[in-house]
Amino acid sequence: MKSDHMLVVAVAVAAMVSLGAAMTASGQGFVAPGTTKKGPGARTWLAERAKLPPYSPPRMADGTPNLEGRWGGSSSGDDVEETEQVDPTTPPWESYVSNPANGRIPYQAWALAERNRHRAGLARGVAGETGERLYTDPQTYCLKSVPRYAQRGFELIQTPGYVTQMLVWGHYHRRIPLDNRSRPGADAKFWMGVPRGRWDGDALVVESTNFNGKMWLDSVGNFVSPNVRITERFALVEANTLDYEVTIDDPGVFTQPWTLSYRLRRQGAGGGGGGAARDPYANEGWEHACHEGNTNHIDGTQHLGFKWFTPVVPPRP
Amino acid sequence: MKHWLPLIAALACTPAVLAGQAAPPAYTPPRTPNGQPDIQGIWQVLNTAAWDIQDHNASLDVPAGRGVVEGNDIPYRPEALEKKKQNYASRATLDPETKCWLSGVPRITYMPYPFQIVQQADKVNILYEYNHTLRHIYMNGNPHPEGPIDWWMGDSRGRWEGNTLVVDVVHFTDQTWLDRAGNFHSEQLHVVERYTPAGPNHMLYEVMIEDPKVFTRPWKMSMPLYRRVESEAEVLEYECYAYLIEENWNKR
Repeated sequence: MKSDHMLVVAVAVAAMVSLGAAMTASGQGFVAPGTTKKGPGARTWLAERAKLPPYSPPRMADGTPNLEGRWGGSSSGDDVEETEQVDPTTPPWESYVSNPANGRIPYQAWALAERNRHRAGLARGVAGETGERLYTDPQTYCLKSVPRYAQRGFELIQTPGYVTQMLVWGHYHRRIPLDNRSRPGADAKFWMGVPRGRWDGDALVVESTNFNGKMWLDSVGNFVSPNVRITERFALVEANTLDYEVTIDDPGVFTQPWTLSYRLRRQGAGGGGGGAARDPYANEGWEHACHEGNTNHIDGTQHLGFKWFTPVVPPRP
Repeated sequence: MKHWLPLIAALACTPAVLAGQAAPPAYTPPRTPNGQPDIQGIWQVLNTAAWDIQDHNASLDVPAGRGVVEGNDIPYRPEALEKKKQNYASRATLDPETKCWLSGVPRITYMPYPFQIVQQADKVNILYEYNHTLRHIYMNGNPHPEGPIDWWMGDSRGRWEGNTLVVDVVHFTDQTWLDRAGNFHSEQLHVVERYTPAGPNHMLYEVMIEDPKVFTRPWKMSMPLYRRVESEAEVLEYECYAYLIEENWNKR
C-alpha cells in the first residue's frame, strides 16, 4: 500500500530529524535509506559539464527556457567541503566548492576560527572537539535556507512573472518574482532571504538578499553573515540535467566570492521503479510535517546545554 | 471515499444550504494556458475568523467581528460542545497555533497572512505565508489514497465545476482547530471547499464541514477572498516555529 509505505517514510524522516544530533554522534555522514545518492563533487561535475555538447533547452509559450520539472537533490552530504571521512581507509568525498579551485571555503582568518569553533562544539564525538556542547545544526529544527533547500530536491514551475520552487521536505516553497521589483529594506531579515530572478540567456539567475544569517550552510558549522548576497544560476545542460551554481558573496566573512557547483538530475530519469505506470501516486509529494513531531529533539538539545545559534556579525574593518 | 458521496449530494440539495448561498457570480475569469479558470495570484481574507469563526465581541487584542458560519450556529454534539467550551477556557495553552503546528484546512485560509495560488495542469498549489505551508490540490484523476492517514493539512483532490474550484479534503489529524476560540474537529473531518471567482480581484470562498464524531450535521462557512493588488505584493515568510523555538530557548 502506498499509504503504508509513505507513513513509514514519514516516520523515518521524522525520526531522522529528531535524532539528528544522535545520528551524527558517530561522526559519520548519515544517509537515510531512500535519500538521494551523492551527486558528483564540483571538480568531477565541471569536468563532465565541459564535455557536454551545446544544448538548447525547450521553451515555454512565452519563449523563456523551460526548466520545469521535479529535480533531485544537490547532495545528501552534510558538509559542503566534504572534509569528513566515513572511515579512516576511505578518502573524503569531493568538495562541492568549485571556486576557489582547492575546494575550501575562503574564510577570512577570524571567520575560519569561528567556523572551527562551531565545529568543535558539535559534541558528536569526533576528533578535535572540545567536548563543549555549543550549537546543533539549525536544520534539525526543521529550518532551511539558501542553497541548502536544494539538498533534497524540489519541483520547479514557471508561470507568468514567477518561478516557483516547491519542496516536499518541510513543505517549503520559494516564490521568485521575475519583474525586477524592489527589495525590502536591508534591516528586514528573513530565514530564506528575499529572491529576485531574471533570465540571463538560457540561464535562470536568482539573487537573494535580506538573510537573517541564522541558518548554516551545512551540518558542520559553515555559515554566512546577514549581509550575504547569494546568486544561484540554473541552466539546463541536457534534457534531464540541471546545472546548479551558487555564488556566495559576503565580503565581511570571506576573502573572495566563492562558488558551489552541483548537478541536479530530473527525478525519475534513468532510474528503475516504473514510476507512475506502477504507482499512480509516484509523482505526488505527500505531507512532510517536521516541526510537529520535533518536540523531543528541541527539548533534548536544550536540556543537553546546546545554545541557540545567533548570527555572526563581521567585525568592522 | 464512496461513502461521502451520498452525503455531499444530500448537502448540495438541502434548501437551507442553497438559501444561504450567494447567487453564482456572473464573472468569467481569464484562462490559464491549460484552459483552466485562472485564479492565480496573492489572496487574503479581510475578516476576524482567525480569532473566532462565530459572531464575537472585542476583547484585548481581539477585534470584534461577525462570524463566517452560515446561521452562526455550529451544530456540536452535546459532549463536543463541552469540549469546545473547555478549549476556549484553556485556549492560551491548548490552541495548536500557540505551538506553531500546521493549521489544517480551512483554518489556514483565514489566518491573517496572504497566500499565493499557482496552477499547473495536474494540480493547483497554494503557497501560504504562514509556516511556509504548501498545499497541493491534485487534479490528476487520482482518488484520495486509502486511509486512515493522519495528515495535518489533509489530502486535497480538486475539480472544476464551471469556474469554481471544488476541493475535497479528508485524512486529517484531530490535532488542529478551526480558530483561536476553541472550535475543533476530529480525525473524521471532511471538508469541501469552493473557490469561485467573483471579479478580477475577488473570490467567494465557501466551506462545507462534516464530522459525524463532533457535529450532528454538516455546516457551512463562507467569506470573500481579496486579491492583494499592491504592485509589488509578495508572499514573504512567517516562520512561526523558528520564532517560537528561539524565544523559548532564550527564556530558559
